[in-house]
Parts: sequence; structure tokens; C-alpha cells
Amino acid sequence: MTGLSAFWIEHFVLCRSGIPKCHRGFRRRMYGRRASQLLKEIDSSEAGQLAPFNSDVFDQVIRECNEHNSQFQSLIRKMVEQNLDIETTRNEDHYGAAIHHLSLLRNKRCLMAYMYNRAEVIQSFRWKVGPVLPHDIQEKLHFSEKEYFKNHSAAIKSYISEMDIDLTVDMVPPKDTYIQVRVLEDIGEVSLGDHSVSLTKNSLHFLRRTDAEQFISQGLMEEFLE
Amino acid sequence: MSSWDDDDSAAAAATDVELLKRAWRNEKAAPEILRFDSPLVSRVREQIQLLEETLDDFADSGVDDLVVSLYQMDLDRTLFLLRSYLRLRLQKIEKYTMHISRSDDLLSRLSQQERRFAKSCAEIMEKHLEQSVLSKLPYGYDSVTRQSLSSTEDDMVPEPQLDTFVFCKTKSDVGAFQLDDIGEEVVDLVADDLYVLRYKSIKGLVEGGRIDLI
Repeated sequence: MTGLSAFWIEHFVLCRSGIPKCHRGFRRRMYGRRASQLLKEIDSSEAGQLAPFNSDVFDQVIRECNEHNSQFQSLIRKMVEQNLDIETTRNEDHYGAAIHHLSLLRNKRCLMAYMYNRAEVIQSFRWKVGPVLPHDIQEKLHFSEKEYFKNHSAAIKSYISEMDIDLTVDMVPPKDTYIQVRVLEDIGEVSLGDHSVSLTKNSLHFLRRTDAEQFISQGLMEEFLE
Repeated sequence: MSSWDDDDSAAAAATDVELLKRAWRNEKAAPEILRFDSPLVSRVREQIQLLEETLDDFADSGVDDLVVSLYQMDLDRTLFLLRSYLRLRLQKIEKYTMHISRSDDLLSRLSQQERRFAKSCAEIMEKHLEQSVLSKLPYGYDSVTRQSLSSTEDDMVPEPQLDTFVFCKTKSDVGAFQLDDIGEEVVDLVADDLYVLRYKSIKGLVEGGRIDLI
């Protein structure tokens, strides 16, 4: 625990001026239980899906962390005031402080895992959905996650333009040169190659895959699979 | 159009596409990011351009539809391989952005553009985590890579699992090969045989091109 002790001393010395009054302490409940709720949420979501951001539980866990911290500080202060050597003393205050420290760490890891796993799903949205997220997904995001998606998409866009090759199309190996498509919105007369096609809503066409792709990626057409 | 020229260029193109296919398969199966094959990618891009120009010529000169669609298919397949290869790598960088940014060895495996992407990714992720979580935690617990000030090393960076099992095929005789550090497990690797091994043990062989992942 020597690394721990060094930290305590530094922490205590630096925070000495602002140590808050000792809280009444936690009610009788297991530490870390709320944090594991967040993890359960991640675990029970289907792959590639996001539940709405649970700001209630998230904020509660943050509050718990700060409570652990103030409990921890007051225990250390108590030991220092009793002129005990923090590095070597092993009394109930030492162990109490250790528990608060470790609980804080556990909460931190859970919070980070929650954000990080959600961020991974958000990354996948750029590839699966596109640069603009539909409203029902946006609703589930924390404001920082919305910013993250925007910045991350911009980074991908920057790479794509540097390389001059679009990586967001061609996601599935090509099977046929021609595919059957169903038009989703009225596009009108389009000239493809040496003939023109009238792309009206709900019409079926047999087009070259490369011609159809630009419409499919914009959501104006979809591949008609039987 | 001389048919000899066609055959030669077709043969050369097949070799590069075969190489790209191999690089793509290895990248798909390996848990960590492999070395970027810059010359191969440049050559493939040139050939793609050549194919596109040939197709344009065909459109103008009214070549038989069947021939056109064969060339088009070839182009589509090559384009897909290239895009998928680059995409796989980008997605690995996305996933292990902090781990890659801290390792000079891993950074050296990336192309210049990938390196810039990796740097942006890491910065964006850090900013997001700081904004949403770390800024609200007490002093001493607010590092992105360490649990707290008392951590002796960066203990919060996700890393790929290098000891995953992978299917692989030897290209030539390797002979007796040591699988682990202590020298207890030794396997005799014969040419053209299929094996299921831990990626970590054969990492060096994959880099040297003596074994392919499937």
C-alpha cells in the first residue's frame, strides 16, 4: 500500500485548505451497486444499440465518488491529527480510508466503461447509419456524446478526403454487377449510361450497382432482396 | 490491342490483387493492427485507375456488353478489397486509439494519413471522457489513463487480446517452432498445413510473411 500512502499524503497536503465537514456517512447500502447498474444496462443492450443515457444513475454515482472522497480525506486528517504515520499505521481509520479509495476507483472504472462502451457504439453509427443521426438516436445521447459523434465523423471525413477514396460505400462484397432496386422517393428522369430511366417512387429497376450506390447511400433507393 | 500486352498486364494485376487479398485476410484475422503496405496500395490504386480508363474507352468504342461487365466486376472486386482493407485498419485504430498512440512501434505501422487520424481519434476521445466523467471526479482521480495518482502505470488503456487463437496456414517449412516463452511447447510447422494457434506466438512469422492468417 505504499503507493497509496504517497498519494494520500500528497492529496491531503494539497486539499488541506478545503476539506468539507464530514458527512453523516452512507446509509446502509453496498458501495458500487449503482455503478454496476450502469454496467448492467450496457450488458443488456443488444449489440450495436444504445439505451437512452441514464443521467440519473450517472449523476448519483458521481455524487457517491465525491462523498467517498470527503470521507477519505477526513479519515486521513484524523490520523494526521493523532500524529500517526500514514504510511505504516494500520488501524480502523486506515482500512476505512482504503475502502473509500477502492470504492471510488471502482465507481470511476464503471463510469469510464459506461462512457467508453457507448462511445464505441456511437463510432459504429458513423459506418452503419451515416454522418447524420436520425432523431430517435439523437434523443438517447448525452450532449458530450453528440459532440463526440460530430468530431469523430469529421476525423473520418478528413482521412477519406486525404486518401481520396470513399470508405463509407461498398460495405458488402459485390456479388453482381447489376442489382434490383426499389425507388423510395421521386427522383425523376435520370440518364444512366446510354439510356435514361424514370425513377418514380416505388418503381422497381434493374440497375448497375455502381450507378445505384449513390442513390442508395442517400436513402433514395434500396436494394430489393427477395 | 495486342493480346500479349493484355495477358501480361492481366497477370501482373492478378499478382497485386492476390497480394492485396492476402493483406486483407491477415488484417481481418489479426487482433492487432499490422504493418501498412504502402507500395502495394499505391500500385493497386494505379491499376484501379487503369481499369476505370479502360472501361471508359469501352463505353466509347461500343465493346460487347459481356466483356464490359467482366471488366466491371473485376474493378468492383478490387475496389471492394481496397476499401475493406483501409476500413478494417481505421476501425482497429478507432477501437484501440489510446493504446496505439502510446506505442511508437504501433504508430510506425500506420500510414501517414492513418497516423493523423489516430492522433485526432485519441484527442477526441480524451476530450469526451474528460468532459463527461473526469471533470466531475475529485482531484487525483481525474486521469484518463490512470485510475488514480497512486497507480504506478497507465492501467486504464484498453488493449487488444494478443493471445486469441487464429487459424493460419504456413507458406513454407518452418520446422520446430517454439510457441511460448519457457520453451515447453514446441510445434513442427510444415509447409501448407493448417494450424490453430495463439496469435501472440506466431506474430513474428506473420510479420515476416511466412505464415498467413485465414
